[in-house]
Amino acid sequence: MGNLYHNKTAQWLVYAAFFIGLALIPSFVDDAFLLNQLATYGVYGMLALSISLCWGFGGILNLGQGIAFGLGAYGMAMTMQMQSQSESNPIPPFMLNNSLDALPWFWEPFSNTAAGLFLAIAVPTLFCAIFGGIMFRARVSGPFFAIMTLAMLSAFYTIILDRQPYTGGVNGITPPSALQIAGVEIDPYSSTAYLTVLGILVVATVVAKLITQSSFGLVTQAIRDDAERVRFLGYSVAGYETMIYTVSGMIAAFAGCCLVMLVQYVSPAQMDVSFSLSMVIWAAIGGRLSLLGSMCGAFLIMGAQSYLGDTFLATWLLILGGFFIIVVRFLPNGLASLLESALGLLASKPKTSAEPNGDAKPVPAE
Amino acid sequence: MDIGSLLNALILGVSIASIWLIAALGLTIIYGAAGVINMAHGEFIMLGAYSSYMLQYYFGLPYLLCIPASFVIVAAVGLVLERGLIQYLYNRPLDTLLATYGVSLVLMQGVRLIFGSDPKYLAAPALFSSNISLGFASVSTFRVVILLVTALCVLGIWLLFYKTRFGVQVRAVMQNKEMAASFGINSSRIYMMTFALGAGLAGVAGSLFGVLAIVLPTMGASYVVQAFLMVVTGGGSLAGTVVASGVTGQLQSVFAFFSNDTFARFLIFVLIVVFLRFRPQGLFAQAGARR
Repeated sequence: MGNLYHNKTAQWLVYAAFFIGLALIPSFVDDAFLLNQLATYGVYGMLALSISLCWGFGGILNLGQGIAFGLGAYGMAMTMQMQSQSESNPIPPFMLNNSLDALPWFWEPFSNTAAGLFLAIAVPTLFCAIFGGIMFRARVSGPFFAIMTLAMLSAFYTIILDRQPYTGGVNGITPPSALQIAGVEIDPYSSTAYLTVLGILVVATVVAKLITQSSFGLVTQAIRDDAERVRFLGYSVAGYETMIYTVSGMIAAFAGCCLVMLVQYVSPAQMDVSFSLSMVIWAAIGGRLSLLGSMCGAFLIMGAQSYLGDTFLATWLLILGGFFIIVVRFLPNGLASLLESALGLLASKPKTSAEPNGDAKPVPAE
Repeated sequence: MDIGSLLNALILGVSIASIWLIAALGLTIIYGAAGVINMAHGEFIMLGAYSSYMLQYYFGLPYLLCIPASFVIVAAVGLVLERGLIQYLYNRPLDTLLATYGVSLVLMQGVRLIFGSDPKYLAAPALFSSNISLGFASVSTFRVVILLVTALCVLGIWLLFYKTRFGVQVRAVMQNKEMAASFGINSSRIYMMTFALGAGLAGVAGSLFGVLAIVLPTMGASYVVQAFLMVVTGGGSLAGTVVASGVTGQLQSVFAFFSNDTFARFLIFVLIVVFLRFRPQGLFAQAGARR
């Protein structure tokens, strides 16, 4: 009997139980505002999932996940904004305030909802594919890639801030009404919105989980552990890295869309460096080697920030920073690794000598 | 377009370059010598500004003495940090990045708790607030002071690294830690010293930036990304950072002359990413540096 933690059936069961639990929440919660807030946690979960996939399973530390997230969010905000514009009044008010008298060309496709939603996902995904492709082909990796994503994120942040007539600048975009799909309005405070976000989170998680269990996922994990050896085995390391980075970016783009659907607001703050770094903190504390662990990390920290944050307003960042340092220093694989070792202790009792004691060195996925 | 204002932009470019350089100098040493990606560098700069503010406001120290004093204070903070945390993470570069980000959160919030989040101002001598007129262009005296201090720091580091015994030891450890250790060099001590030195230089930068802009607990965040870019573009060597800062500072000024500051910054960031696509090792890669 091996460690239950590495048992695939057990993992799927835990995931199923986790999501069924989340799906039941709307039947207990009456408070619409609380439900909306819980749905935004789903968005954070999605982001942590994307970081875990990219960093935990691909070894690519991405400090610029805010790029895909922010582009997705802006795409969604533009779509929602254009839904409330009519034939007689085709230009969003903030453009008029900035004395723009025609709709910019890149806003045009967003007047069609389907096209807008498609672009909101396709543009960030394409960006990740191109940027990742260029970087990984040049064999930029490790801390350098992290710095590059940081630079790219800052570049996007400044350009969105600067081009106020087209992007709303620092004020961002505030679509006046909720998203409508095929004539149905999705009220952000309803359980429909909550379940939509949860549905996307479930699909993203299942896809990510299947990826990590596929042979593709095995190669990416091998790249994480030793890229040079995998290259010598004849795999295209850049191709695999680009692929996993792009999938991760796509999940982040979905998260961006969901957030704007829920809060009807987007601003450059979504592309702030500190927000992208906090996504990494969630995954690191929860356990980047576990998709579920990362999501729980996001729920844990954002939950604590909302509820403890009020009590410890002044010291919250101090606590978070200190906790993060301790996790990085002593628990590099996050809280999930505690569970792993606990289950490992249970499993290894019957026959410690029979098994080769080699499971300490390579870190298995989940 | 008249030639005078373009000249003015070029002179401003030199000044911007010196600001980028002094911000990146400490990071270059820490990264170049120890391979540590120090995300708390911006907060070291912020600490430098607050140390100067504290010394000036509570102890009435003249501004010019605040600069070396900030160096000492922030170097001490760096020393404590290196001994307490960084020294355990040298073989995990990604984790140093994360841990130092945690440190930056703690430092930022700690300073906010002590000094409050309202802006503070550093007072420079009245002499520095004047302008130097060069006929066709005028430049503020304080920017010249920054340029001079930066030049002094670069010269000092160059002398330290290339003309002293300590410098030989640092460069030996940089090239091959194990080999240096087998020749009797205490590499742990070298790492400690270089980290403290780099932190101290950030302190100097902070006490200069405190006059240039307002002093806020969050002021460090805006410097850290650009400082990193200078170091990575330069390839981690001192000469590389100097050249990278010089070129980007000048470009920033010229771009800003034709558009605006924010757009210029965007262009610079994109250009650096493109540049590193073709030269991932930076301008001047160090000979035999470990990656």
